[in-house]
This record gives sequence, structure tokens and C-alpha cells, in this order.
Amino acid sequence: MKKEKSSQSTISSSQVFLTHVCCGLVLAVGFWVAHNVYSINLVSDPSNTLCWIWASELPVVILLFSCFRQKQEKCSYLKAIAQGLLGLPAGALLNALGALALGAPIGLQYLEKTLNWSLLMSLFTFVPAASVYGSSWKDWHRIFACTKPNGSLDFMLCLPAHGAVIGAWFGAWPMPLDWERPWQDWPICVSYGAVAGYVVGMVGSFGVSLMRGGQKQLKAE
Amino acid sequence: MFPNPKSLKMPPLTCTKLALIAITGVIIQIIGLSLFVFGFFPVKPALPGISGSESYHLPVCDLVGNQSGTTLPSDQLRSLYQELSGMPPLFDRLILMVIDGLPAEFVLGKNGKPPSKQFKEAMPYTQSLLASGLAIGYHAKAAPPTVTMPRLKAMVSGAIGGFLDVAFNFNTQAMLDDNLLGQFFRIGWKMVMLGDETWLKLFPGLFKRHDGVSSFYVKDTVQVDQNVSRHLGDELSRDDWNLLILHYLGLDHVGHIGGRSSVLMVPKLKEMDDMVKLIHSSTTLSQGNDQGRMLLMIVSDHGMTENGNHGGSSYEETDSLALFIGLRNHVLDYASVIQQIDIAPTLALLFGVPIPKNNVGVLIKEAFDSLKEEQHLRALELNSWQLLGLLQAQLSGLPCRNFPCDAFSDHQIAGTSECYHRTEDMLCCLYMEAAALYSSWKSKRGTESASNKDYSSTAAAYYKFLKSASEWLSRRSTDKPVKLLAVGLATMFISCVILSSLMFCRVREIYLGRRQQSLNDSMNGWSLDDTFILGVILILVTSMGSSSMVEEEHYIWYFVTSTFYLLLLRKTAQSFSSVGVKSGEGYFGMCFTFLLLISGRILRGWHQGGVNWTSLPDISKCLEQAGSHYVKLLQLVSAFLVISIGVFALFSIQFKQKYFQMVRLSFLTSGLLVLLHITRYQDYTFSSTNYGATLLAQIVYAILGAATIGTVVALPWFFPFPTFNSCPTDNTLSPPSFFHGIQEKFPFVELRDSLYVIGWAYILCWCLLQLLLQQPINSTPILLLLVQILASMLYFASNGTHHKEWIEIAALYYLGMAGHFALGNSNTLATIDVAGAFIGLSSHSTLLSGILMFIITYASPMFILLSLVMYISMKNMAHLVIPEKADAGDLLMMMIGFPCLVPLVVNSILLTAYTVVLLLMRNHLFVWSVFSPKYLYVCATTLCTYIGVFIVAATGTYTHLVLAMRRRKQVPITNNTR
Repeated sequence: MKKEKSSQSTISSSQVFLTHVCCGLVLAVGFWVAHNVYSINLVSDPSNTLCWIWASELPVVILLFSCFRQKQEKCSYLKAIAQGLLGLPAGALLNALGALALGAPIGLQYLEKTLNWSLLMSLFTFVPAASVYGSSWKDWHRIFACTKPNGSLDFMLCLPAHGAVIGAWFGAWPMPLDWERPWQDWPICVSYGAVAGYVVGMVGSFGVSLMRGGQKQLKAE
Repeated sequence: MFPNPKSLKMPPLTCTKLALIAITGVIIQIIGLSLFVFGFFPVKPALPGISGSESYHLPVCDLVGNQSGTTLPSDQLRSLYQELSGMPPLFDRLILMVIDGLPAEFVLGKNGKPPSKQFKEAMPYTQSLLASGLAIGYHAKAAPPTVTMPRLKAMVSGAIGGFLDVAFNFNTQAMLDDNLLGQFFRIGWKMVMLGDETWLKLFPGLFKRHDGVSSFYVKDTVQVDQNVSRHLGDELSRDDWNLLILHYLGLDHVGHIGGRSSVLMVPKLKEMDDMVKLIHSSTTLSQGNDQGRMLLMIVSDHGMTENGNHGGSSYEETDSLALFIGLRNHVLDYASVIQQIDIAPTLALLFGVPIPKNNVGVLIKEAFDSLKEEQHLRALELNSWQLLGLLQAQLSGLPCRNFPCDAFSDHQIAGTSECYHRTEDMLCCLYMEAAALYSSWKSKRGTESASNKDYSSTAAAYYKFLKSASEWLSRRSTDKPVKLLAVGLATMFISCVILSSLMFCRVREIYLGRRQQSLNDSMNGWSLDDTFILGVILILVTSMGSSSMVEEEHYIWYFVTSTFYLLLLRKTAQSFSSVGVKSGEGYFGMCFTFLLLISGRILRGWHQGGVNWTSLPDISKCLEQAGSHYVKLLQLVSAFLVISIGVFALFSIQFKQKYFQMVRLSFLTSGLLVLLHITRYQDYTFSSTNYGATLLAQIVYAILGAATIGTVVALPWFFPFPTFNSCPTDNTLSPPSFFHGIQEKFPFVELRDSLYVIGWAYILCWCLLQLLLQQPINSTPILLLLVQILASMLYFASNGTHHKEWIEIAALYYLGMAGHFALGNSNTLATIDVAGAFIGLSSHSTLLSGILMFIITYASPMFILLSLVMYISMKNMAHLVIPEKADAGDLLMMMIGFPCLVPLVVNSILLTAYTVVLLLMRNHLFVWSVFSPKYLYVCATTLCTYIGVFIVAATGTYTHLVLAMRRRKQVPITNNTR
């Protein structure tokens, strides 16, 4: 128990900042490259854009978060990476099921879009936690079922993930409106919402880590 | 959250007090709603009286009508009119052929393009008439609601009906306003009507001969039209009539069954074309005789959507046809757009009768092209006078009110600078300009050869006035009495506040009680679910302000309910505690939530409802394309499953007395009869309704009604009391083993158990009724709804302590609304299933078919409300604080308090909010097409909620009273024996 705490407390706000900045930058670069190099964007070619973005984001997320793996004596860096890679399809499946339950269209022509979208969502939500906690049900339960994060690391996993999900939920609202805009299609505005929520979550997580750092310093004094 | 000390002292609500306040709230709400409805949907303001000879004079300032003309015998009246109008009637006989529901697009094409090839080829004769210029066709824009009766009224009177005319569509009444048929009758015309009997109801006694067919047996597409055509040859050879009305309903029925692209559509158009050919060739033959000149007019009352429905205001529905055959005319390469109401004044002047008094329409220009210039201008003048009279009646302060008295002494036009301040001034100026031009044209004509330019500018000025006056008047007919609306809204608001605060009191009482007893914490915290359930109301209220969200409301309900299930899933996941200890409860909860999610998703995909995305594929369309036997198979399977679930539930009750056997047997019988009805009759064969089917349906109604009422009334009397020795879990019915322990703590086990049985009776009765009445494609959604209801009941019962009761009931209510849309309903009147409303009715009865229509449309919300009876019986009440001194009333309130209050409160909030929205949107472009139909639905939902809550409350109270009485009788006996 003590060891766990110590391993969590090793996350400083600068580490949180760096991780989030890296993820955010890769996301931004991904969009930029897609738009300027491949000249595609979410509206014109949603599935390829999403595919490109998650493919570029994947190594960064897994490599970064695997650094924060728990029980480092038992779990090697490579194992953490493997856990993250395993978490990707599992999380994608759960995200896709959730989206379908909420009314994402079913059909062969949507399969590719849904698949790529759910892989991206999995990267936002599941993969970091899988890399960090592996298959520890207790931690998953704490972070995702109860939403009671404990420590900067938990916040770093919890807030962006919840942000992405809530953002995607809100992103679905314009879909039934009759504005006849191309971005109202599945999964374009949902992806925009998810990305926006993810970014907000990252900012929030950084803020929390700053605050907690400040509190710790105060306590130390 | 923390109540202030003052409120702590408030005396707790007693049962009677609660009931009284709630009933007061409901009554206030009803009063407010009716005030608002009568204010908002005005019975159209109509001028009294009938146009007579005075309509050929200027509308005089002092409205002393010269009614002497009306007393004249008909032939004298006819010559009087002719003399006064100064224009001989162009025609003597009229055949008005109404093809119900024919979109003008089929004949005239759309946007200047010719109609599609198959439709064009289906009507070769009509197309050849159009091409040769013998016929002129118009897109006659119908005003919503696009339902037959209001449209017929509009065509013959030229007036725009109020919105509530739809409501009276199923209760046709004689038309008392001034109309063309009345005018024709007065000048001694003989009239014959064949077809839709709506005409007979509108104009009783006017027809010399008639053969009416009912428009309500929608499944019949052949016989309705044969009944019209069989007399046609005979009637055409006679010369004793002046007006022949033919109203063909078959095309509308084809649309209702199969939509625009139905396979029956082309043959039906061909049939109509043959009729046109028959009529036209016989009239041209007889033209030489002295039977008089004949005008054949082909009109449709409204169009239809892609699915064949109508009622709304989309282009497809309002695009009706007006085709004149017999006017000598040149070929028009482009069919222009007129208003449907324009038909009335045109026909009136073509046939030499006064224009109906409340007409808002404008003469159709091309119809008068063959007239002399002076006659055309005279016709325009008559139309203008008539509209001016209407304007004067509507505007007491019309500035040119006194103008017509001295119009001709005074040639100068009022300064044009004054003209454009107000609409009233503008209309007045336009009229004066036209009148001045006309009089100058007349004076010029006397002296020099009339110049063509003067004539055309006069005509243009008249048309300008007529068009703007017509537009202004049609807008004006939707004026609202503000005070009435405000009072109605305020009353509704008060009742909403009363009901909400009542519920708030109840919540706080229970909450306080719990706090004092410090029961489990999870109940007291303000959890995510609670926030979400309240947030849903907020979401709904805000979304109602947008017309597209009103049209696509079902998306909100689906999204919200499935989000709620996902939250439930998350909550269940929380109960899976940290290490490996996984309770059976959690697994069951998980299963139920998955069941809810999956069936919810299938329900969502079943009908692609709404307005904008209806063309997208959905399950029902796929099935219908796959073939009717798949639909049938699925229907049978779902019906069988529903019946077996119900029968299994009834047979798992362990009582073996005769009474219970009878209940089981009667439900089983009616279930089998419903199955029989499905296999044998519900086939959408395009034949008219069949005697056997009607009889069978009536038997099912009788058995179901008797069984349900019998169960509800008699069960509390026969229900065996549990013996005190036996273990309570032995003879309780409802609970599967995993939520036992409910009964021990709660008194009146027998009350819960009898409510359980009654709840099943209600559910089964409702399901069987729906299986009988709904379209075949909707049987599976009924099964899924049943599954959803059972799953959520079991979920709530098994996780009894994890949710607040009011949250669960609100969630169930939302479930019901989502199901409402899953059954194919929407917020347009077009989706109401008219065909089902006549199952089992041997004769036409407005009331009964209205009730059936309500049952079909509100299947899902009513289902939920009825199932609340079972919910009461399954809900774990053990955690509720039962004070020591609790009397029977308190217990009753504990049980049925929330199930009655929550639906009322949610509904009253939505009703009040939507009333505000409607008031704010009263000038919106879509007020009549989107917001008003939605308001009618909201009103009907309110009615549904009242009925459902009444049933729940009455059942609960009745059962409770009877059992309490029996218990009181029994207790002395047990005491004695001890």
C-alpha cells in the first residue's frame, strides 16, 4: 500500500504537463498533417482521418503512459506496452457498443467509421489506464465505475477519459437537427465533441495536479 | 438540500389531504388547458349570413343587408343575379370530380418538369387534354391541416378553416356557412353526389340523388371507387342535374396502404384516367344538345407524403390538383400555383352565383380569359367588393370604411405617401387605386375605343389588391385573444406549481424520515441519476423551442433513455465490489440492463420516425421489402411470445382456487383468439373488412374487458389471506428468490400480491389489445416494450434500495415516451393509424373509433402507466419509514403516492413549458405545421396521463379498501380463536 502511494506521488505536475502536452500536440499535428499533407479532414473523409489520427496517437499514448505503470518491480515496460495494446481493441469494443446503444447507425457502410472512431475513443479512455493499471479491477473500479480518483495519476487517467466520453455525448446533439451541414453525420460531430472534451479533460487534469502540488508544498511547509 | 427549521414544523401530509390537493391541481390544469386551447385554436371568425343580391352592389357603410332577394323563387333569383352581375354565366352544368389525395405532381409534374414516366403513361387521356390545351391544370396549394373535410369546406366556401377543424374531421357536421353548394341550391340547381359520404354530412338534404361511401375503411381500394363509377354511365346520360360531384377515395386508400410508390398506384391512376375519358367524351358528345355548356373540374383535396399519409403542411401534402376541362384556352407550358380557396370565387362567378360571404380566395385569372374585357373587370370588381366587405367586418377602423359610399364622385386617389404606413391603409389604397382605374376605364370606354393598356393595368391593380387582401385575411384568421391565453397559461402554471410542490413535500418527508433513521447513505446522496432525470426535463423543455427538435423529438427520447440505461450499467458496475466478491444481484442487474439496452436499440431502429430522415432505411422498411410473409411470421412469433410470457406469469401464481383458474382461462382464451385473428384475418388483403374478422375482434374485446374488469373488481374479495403460520415466502407470488425478504417487513402482504395479479391482468389485457389493433409490423415493438418494462421492473425490484422511487417512475415514464415513438408515432398528425381504428366495428361510430385510435396511438405511455400497478407490488418498500402510528391511509399514500404524482408532475411541467413555447412561437412560420400538431399531441398525452393515473389510483385505493375491510372482519375471528 505504501509503495503504491509512493509510486503515485512520484507523478509531478511537470510530468503531467509534459504527458498532456505531448498527447495534445500529437493530436494537433495529426489533424494538421491530415489536412495539409493528405488533404483530408473529418468532414471530407471521416474514417481515413480518424484512422490516421489514432494511428499517430497510439505510439505516443502507449509509450508515455507505460512509463507510469504501477508495481514497476512486477511489470516491465514492455509488459505495460503490451497491456496498452491489448486495451486498445477491448476499449474500442466497449466504446463501439456504447455508441451503438446510444443510437449510432448500424450497417456495413458505417462499419469502418464506427471502428476508427471507437479506436480513437479507446485511445482517449482505455489505453492509458490499461498501460498504467493493467488488469487491476480495483483500480479500474475506482476510476471508471465510481469516479473517485485518488492522486494526480488517477486524475490524469480519469479526467481526459471522462471528458472525451462526455464531449462525445454532447457532440451527438446537433445530429438530428435539420441544418443540412455535412458535419452533422456520424461520427464527425461526435469526434469533434470527443476531442474537445478530451482537451478540456487534459487541461483540468493539469490544473488538478498543479493544485495538489501546491497543497502538498503547503503541507510540507 | 437542508430544510430550514420552519418547514420542519409543517404538519405531514395525510393521504386525504394529498389526494385532495392533487385532484385540485389536476382540475385547475384542465380548466387552464381548455381556456388556452379555445383561445389558441379559435373557431374561425365568420361573417354571418349568406351572400345574396346585395353582393352585386358596393358594400354599403351601414350594414343594413337587403335580404329581399333571398325570398325570391329560384329561377327569378337566377335571372336577378344574372341581371345584376352584368355577365351571363359561362357554363350551366358542372361536374366536380374529386380524387382524394391525388398530388398534383402526378399529373402536372414538379418545378416545371413533367411528371415521372410511369405516372404520365398511366393517365394518357388527361395528359393529351393538357397537351392540347383543352385542360388547364394548377397546383392548388391546400392550407394545412391537409385532411379531407376541412379541404372540402375550403373549396366550396373559399374560407380558411380553423386548426381545430381536424378534430371535427371525424365528427362531420353540416356546413352552415355560406358556400357554393348552398348558392347553387338557391338558384334551383339539381345536384347529384356519388362518393365520399363526407359531402352528405356537410350538405344534408341538398342532393337530389346520392350514393355515399364511407372513407373510413381504408383497406378497401377497389369497392369504394366501383361504388362511384357504377352510376356514372347512367348519370351522364341524364340531363336532370346541374352539378354532379364524384368523390373517388380509392387513391387515398392506396396511399394509406402502400405510399406513393405502391404497386396499386399506377392501376388506380389508370382507372381515374378512364373515368375522365368517359366523362369528357360523353360531355363533348352532348355538347351539341341543348343541355347547356358543361365544365368538368378535377380537383384533389390534398396530396400525400412519400408514405401516403397526409395532414401536415409539407409540399407533398399541400400540393393538390385543380384541373379545368372545358375552358377554351391556349396551351400552358408551365402549370402555375394557385391557392385551393381560389376555386370557390372562380366557380361562383363562372356559374353566376354570388361569391360566398367568407371567401378569402381570388379569381383564377385564366378562367376568365375568354370573357369580354368589361366582364372580366366586373368579375374582379365583384371579388374585390366581397373581400372589402370581409375586411370591413374584420377592421372596424378601416380608413376607407366610408369610402365606397362616395367612391365615384371622387376620383382622386388618396396621397400615396399615406398609403404604406399600416397594412390597413395599404389595402385601402390598393383598392381605391383599382376602383379609380376601373371607373376611368369605364368612362373612357364610352368616349373612345378602349385601350388595351388601360384594361390590363386595371386588371393588374385589381389583382394586386385581391392578392394582398387575401393574404392579409388568411393571416388574420389566426388572431388570438391575448387575455384568454394569458389566463389559461397562468392557471396551468399554478397547477404545475401545486403539483410540483406537492411532490417536493413528499420527497422531503421521506428524505427527512430517512435522515432521522440514518438508513443507508446511498439513498440520501444526490446521485448522478437524479441529476440526469431532472436534467432530462430541462433538455426537453429547451429542445421544444426549436422546430426541428420538435419534428425529431424521438431522437431526444431514445438518446436520453439509453443514456439512462448506461448510467444504470455504471451503477451496477459500482456494486461489483473490489475483489472478486460479485453478488448475484449485480449479475441480474447487469443482465437486465443489457436487455434494456438491446431492446431499446432495436426499438429505436424499428421505425425511422420524424420528418427529415424518414427515408433512411429502418427495420420495418426492410421487413416490408422482404415480403409480407416475414412480417407475418415475426408477428406470429412476437404475439406467441407475448402471450406465453403473460400466461406463464399467470400460471406461476400458486393459488389454485376456481377463481384464479377462471382468470387464467379467460386470458388464455383471448390470447388464442388474438392469434387466430392474426393468422386468419390481419392480412392486409385489399378487401373490405370482413364479417368474421369483425365478430372475432368483438369477441376478443368482450372477453378481455370482462376478464380485466372481473379481475380488478373481484380479486380483492377472493384473495386468500396468508395464514400466519406459514412462511411468507411460500405463498407470495411475485418475487423470484433473489429478492425475497421484501414481504416480511411490509404489512399487507395480500395487498401487494393482489396488486401484482391485477397488474399482470392490466398488462396482458393491454398487450393483447395492441396485438389485435396495431399494424402487423408493430407486434415486435410491443413484445420489446413488454420485455423492457419487465426488465426495468425486475431491475428496480432487485436493486430496491439503490434508487429513489420517484427517479424510477420518472425513468419508466421516459421509457414510455421513447416507446411511443418506437411504435411509429411522430409529432405530425399524419402518422396516426386510421386503419386500425375500425377493427371490430361493424358500423361507423365516431366515439368508438376515436377511442380505438387513442388506444393505438398512446399504446406505449398507457402501457407504462398501467404497469405502474405491478411496479407498486414489486417495489421494495422495506426501507421506507413506517411510523409506529401509521394508519391505513399513510400506507396507501406510501404505495401509490409517487406512482400517481410523478407522471402528473412530469407531464404538467412539459405541458406548461410547451404552452409557453407555443405562445412564443405563435408568429413562427411553422406554427400550424409543427408546433400546433405537437400541442395536440401534448394535450392527448395529458389526457392519457390523467386516465392512467386515475386507473392506478383507483385500483390501489379500491384494493386497499376492500382488503382492509376484510381484514377488519377477520381480525376479531382470529382473536377469538386465540
